[in-house]
Amino acid sequence: MTERARAARRPGPALVLWSSIAIFAVLFALLTYQLASSQPPAPRPVVVHKVLKRRVVTTYVPTPGRTSVSTSGSVAGESASPGYAPVTTSAS
Amino acid sequence: MAEHDVIFDAMGSHVRLLIGEPGPGMAPAPAAAEAARRLIVEFDAALSRFKPESELCAFNEDPRERVPASELLRGAVTAGLRAAERSGGLVDPTLVGEIESAGYVASRAGVPGAPLGAALEEAPERRPARPNPAQGWRGFRVDDAAGTISRPPGLRFDSGGTGKGLAADLVAERLRGYSRYIVDCGGDIRIGGADALVTPYEVFVEHPLTGERAFVLKLGSGAVATSGLNVRIWRDESGRYAHHLLDPATGEPAWTGLVGATALGDTAVEAETFAKAALLSGPEGGRDVLAERGGLLVHDDGQVETVGPLAAKPRVRIPDLSSRG
Repeated sequence: MTERARAARRPGPALVLWSSIAIFAVLFALLTYQLASSQPPAPRPVVVHKVLKRRVVTTYVPTPGRTSVSTSGSVAGESASPGYAPVTTSAS
Repeated sequence: MAEHDVIFDAMGSHVRLLIGEPGPGMAPAPAAAEAARRLIVEFDAALSRFKPESELCAFNEDPRERVPASELLRGAVTAGLRAAERSGGLVDPTLVGEIESAGYVASRAGVPGAPLGAALEEAPERRPARPNPAQGWRGFRVDDAAGTISRPPGLRFDSGGTGKGLAADLVAERLRGYSRYIVDCGGDIRIGGADALVTPYEVFVEHPLTGERAFVLKLGSGAVATSGLNVRIWRDESGRYAHHLLDPATGEPAWTGLVGATALGDTAVEAETFAKAALLSGPEGGRDVLAERGGLLVHDDGQVETVGPLAAKPRVRIPDLSSRG
C-alpha cells in the first residue's frame, strides 16, 4: 500500500471531532435521563432493637433417696431466676 | 426469651441441660429436657461398667467372638475406637482389667477423692504415657449392617473414656433447632443453637488443685471437655495413690506432670479425647495435642497454661460500634 493510499484511509479531523461530540451527547442524555427517572434515596431504615431478657427456669431432678442433686445444695423443686448458675467444665 | 435448666445425676456425675426456645413444630423445652434425661438414663443403664445387668457387662462376659449389639453399644464402641485411633492409642478403651487392678472396681460417684496435693508428693517420677504396642483395641470390629460387634473373646471394652462425651453429643443432635442449648455431662459440654452464636455461653474451667475458676471460655458452638486427676483418685490396697487415667503401656496410673487438661473440639467426644490425650501426653506432648483446637494445661505446680487459639492474643482491636447512633 502506498503512502497516499494510507492517508486516504485515515478519517478526517472533522469526522473525529463530530463523532466525539455525538458520542458525548448521547451518553450525557442517557445519564441525565437515568438521573431524572431514578427514585429519591430511601430514608435510612430505623433499626428496632428488641430487648430480649433471658429468663431461666431451673429444675433439679432429685435422685431417688436424695433430697438434692445440685452442687449448691438447693432442694429439689423449680424456680425462675433471671440468670443461670455458671456452667463449669471439670474432671468427673 | 425463656431457657429451661435441668440438673440431675447420671453416669456417676451431674448432668445439666440448658435449653432455649423450640423451633417451629418442636416440643417445648421442658418436654425436650425430659426426653433428653430419659435418653441419658437409658445410656447409663446400657453402658455402665458398674451395673452387672448392663448390656456392656453382658457383652464383656459373652464368650462368643461375634456378639449381637444394640445401636447404642455399637455407637459407644465405635466412638471408643475412634478416640483410640485419633490419640494414637493413648485413649485406650480396653484397659478394663488394668483399671480394676488399680482399685477402680465400683462406681466412685459421690466418693470424695483423695487429696491430690498429697498424691503428687508421693507420685513416682513424671513421664508421658505411651500407647500399648499390642494395640488390643484394634481387635474390635463393629458391623452396623449385621448389628454385631466382633472381638477376641475375653477382650473387654470400657465406655468410660468417651461415654459422657458421646451422651452429650447424642442429646445435642436431638436439640438441633432450639434457639440455644448446653448439654453438660459431668463437665463434657456440647453447645449449640443459632442464638448461642450471637450471645455465647460462658463456661468456667475449674482448677483441679484449688477448685477455683482457672479460666473463662466464651463458646457459641462446639464442645469443651476436661480431664483431671482430682476427682477419681484413691489409695490402692498397697497404700499408693492411684487414679483412673492409666498409662496404656504399663497399665498403671499415669503421672505425667499435668493434673488437668481442658480441650475444645467440634464434638464432645472429640474434646474429651483431646483432653485425655493431652493429659496423658504430659506438658510437651499435651501442647501438641491441643495446638490446633486450643485448650488449657494445668501443671503439677498449679500453673495454668493456655495453648493454641486460646493462647493467641488478638492483633487487631475492633472498635465497638454497637453504641454509636
